Amino acid sequence: MSENESEALGYNRRDFLKGGSVATVMAMMGGVELFAQTNAAPASETKAPTIKIKVAVIGLGAWGREIVNTLGRMPQAELPIDAEIAAICDTYKPFLRRGASAAPAATQTEDYKTILDNKDIKAVVIATPTPSHKEVALAALKAGKHVYCEAPLAGSIEDAREIALAAKAAKHLAFQAGLQMRSDKQRLFLLPFVRTGALGKTVLTRAQWHKKTSWRATSPNPEQEKALNWRLNKATSLGLIGEIGSHPIDQAGWFMNALPTAVTGFGSINFWKDDRDVPDTVQAVIEFPGDVRMIYDATLANSFDGEYEMLYGSDAAIMMRESKAWMFKEVDSPLLGWEVYAAKLKVFNETGIALVAGASKPPPVDEKGQPKQVDPLTTTPLFYALSNFLLNAAELTQAAEDYKASYGADDLDGMMEALGKTRRRASAGYLEGFQASVTAVKANEAILTGKRIELKPEWYELS
Amino acid sequence: MKKRTLIAGAIALLSLATVSLTAAEQMTTYVARPGSKMRIEGTANAIHTTWLIESPLIGGMIEVGPGFPTEPGQAVTPGKVEAKGNAFIRVSSLKSVESDGKPYSDKMDEITYEHLKEEQFKQINYKLTELTLKEAPKSKDAPYVFDSTGDLTIAGVTKKITMPANILPVVTPKDKGLEITGNITVKMTDFKVEPVDKNLVVGHIKTGDEVKLVFKWVLVQRKAPAAAAK
Repeated sequence: MSENESEALGYNRRDFLKGGSVATVMAMMGGVELFAQTNAAPASETKAPTIKIKVAVIGLGAWGREIVNTLGRMPQAELPIDAEIAAICDTYKPFLRRGASAAPAATQTEDYKTILDNKDIKAVVIATPTPSHKEVALAALKAGKHVYCEAPLAGSIEDAREIALAAKAAKHLAFQAGLQMRSDKQRLFLLPFVRTGALGKTVLTRAQWHKKTSWRATSPNPEQEKALNWRLNKATSLGLIGEIGSHPIDQAGWFMNALPTAVTGFGSINFWKDDRDVPDTVQAVIEFPGDVRMIYDATLANSFDGEYEMLYGSDAAIMMRESKAWMFKEVDSPLLGWEVYAAKLKVFNETGIALVAGASKPPPVDEKGQPKQVDPLTTTPLFYALSNFLLNAAELTQAAEDYKASYGADDLDGMMEALGKTRRRASAGYLEGFQASVTAVKANEAILTGKRIELKPEWYELS
Repeated sequence: MKKRTLIAGAIALLSLATVSLTAAEQMTTYVARPGSKMRIEGTANAIHTTWLIESPLIGGMIEVGPGFPTEPGQAVTPGKVEAKGNAFIRVSSLKSVESDGKPYSDKMDEITYEHLKEEQFKQINYKLTELTLKEAPKSKDAPYVFDSTGDLTIAGVTKKITMPANILPVVTPKDKGLEITGNITVKMTDFKVEPVDKNLVVGHIKTGDEVKLVFKWVLVQRKAPAAAAK
């Protein structure tokens, strides 16, 4: 694996930190930025008792290490949990070594089963290659672990269904699909805004992911290199539409509260003419009810304009870039009122209005009452997704203990029913993970065959 | 003479044991089961003038003697009923909620646990010491009205409390049970629990000393152990 593997796969810290410069550009364009409140609390608040939870990360590729980095920042957010990265796992030793730099106290192992055997570890994050999700997720649920499984859940609908059904049965465990947008404070702020019709009639949606990167990892060992490059082999990969596109496509459906009805795809290897058989450039049209279509494109050959998602309505459009959002209003749209006072952003000839969750609340302050510096990595969608996962896991663990202390452990069905009612913080569950996987599998199929595939509603049903 | 005294003593002891055994046999035991709810209603000076905390779990058991109504509409005589028991609520199961029952705030939960000294005292306990039937219900569906006396322990401090308790026997094809409902207002400072008085994100908050505890406790009759095989 090359040292610049992070860059090769297109995931790195710089991408997350870029948000500031994006905001500046968008501000120059006249957009209205929509912000979310951060987790940080004023220092004047007292520290309450916290729930301790040990978590392990299985799979330490670039994204797995980003997860380790993010988990290591949990204490900064003053959450009511004390999350400890107890173990990290990867079958590839260089990855283990790199993962250990962000979690030096964690036990290192090449065998995930040793993690599942450890009773002290209550939660696992699975960031292994997609084809191995099923084996690890099913074993983890069977071992009684709370599971965060990266999206897509699997490379086939059958495997994704098997994972989702096992998660559904395990009501005493938190299962979260790695569709981190569904936990992002900024997007949770936008959700009611969109659903209540602030954009008028939704007419179309669009998303893109553009990067100049080979997506290839290198290793001195040819067999190892082949394993590391599972994304470039269509036998093991759902390609760009599955590994990357499944997130914005799921997000579009979430905002519109609808499942896709059909998908048409195109894909080709336009630039990276190596031994890969996965397209380096894809385009897809995803159809939603009400004649709303989503245009998605992704390429590994050009980085212009990076990645963002758009929602277009008859009154306004919303642009989402990482953890920021702006609204661009039509001249004939009704006045909402608050936008008069919102920060503006000039984009060519358009004026964007910043959409900021919690903007009316005071910013966090330190002991001296000064504005508190917030680590940008504690306000990313991934941070919110992982913190919500751990909070849900900790709460369910505590709820199970409370139930057993109150009523004993004999009535397992009663306990499962009660735990099924335990509140869950915003996150993608097994059903959302399954449905996003169905779309990803079929969209990839449409890309590889160049056909339009109608997505039958029954495909999205679990059982 | 000495021998006769010994025999008489033995007979007396045996009689006493038999009486005790008979009394124990006549006691009916109910154990807690899911379906309960404890709601704590409080007041505050700002933002929301009221706050609510709920738990869906109330554990424990009660034992009642003859004269306690185990069936709806059962004829009873007002007066003291032999009864003892205990109920408890895990502090960690208490969650702040909106008036519609939706979760309110993690921070509020943290403050609750902190003030109730959750790390040291895991449970709120109630020990029932006395139960007096006030009046028989006017209809078969109505509860029996009792006066109860017991010891309430919050954050490690115990106080004797008296409160009315409405007890409704519930019989299903599967089992017999009870639904006990009631409420009582207590001062948190009586239990050395100081009201919240601090600066939060939403501003300065000071909570009132008095809180109202409202509960529904669901219990099921413990079935007698199966007779030993002959």
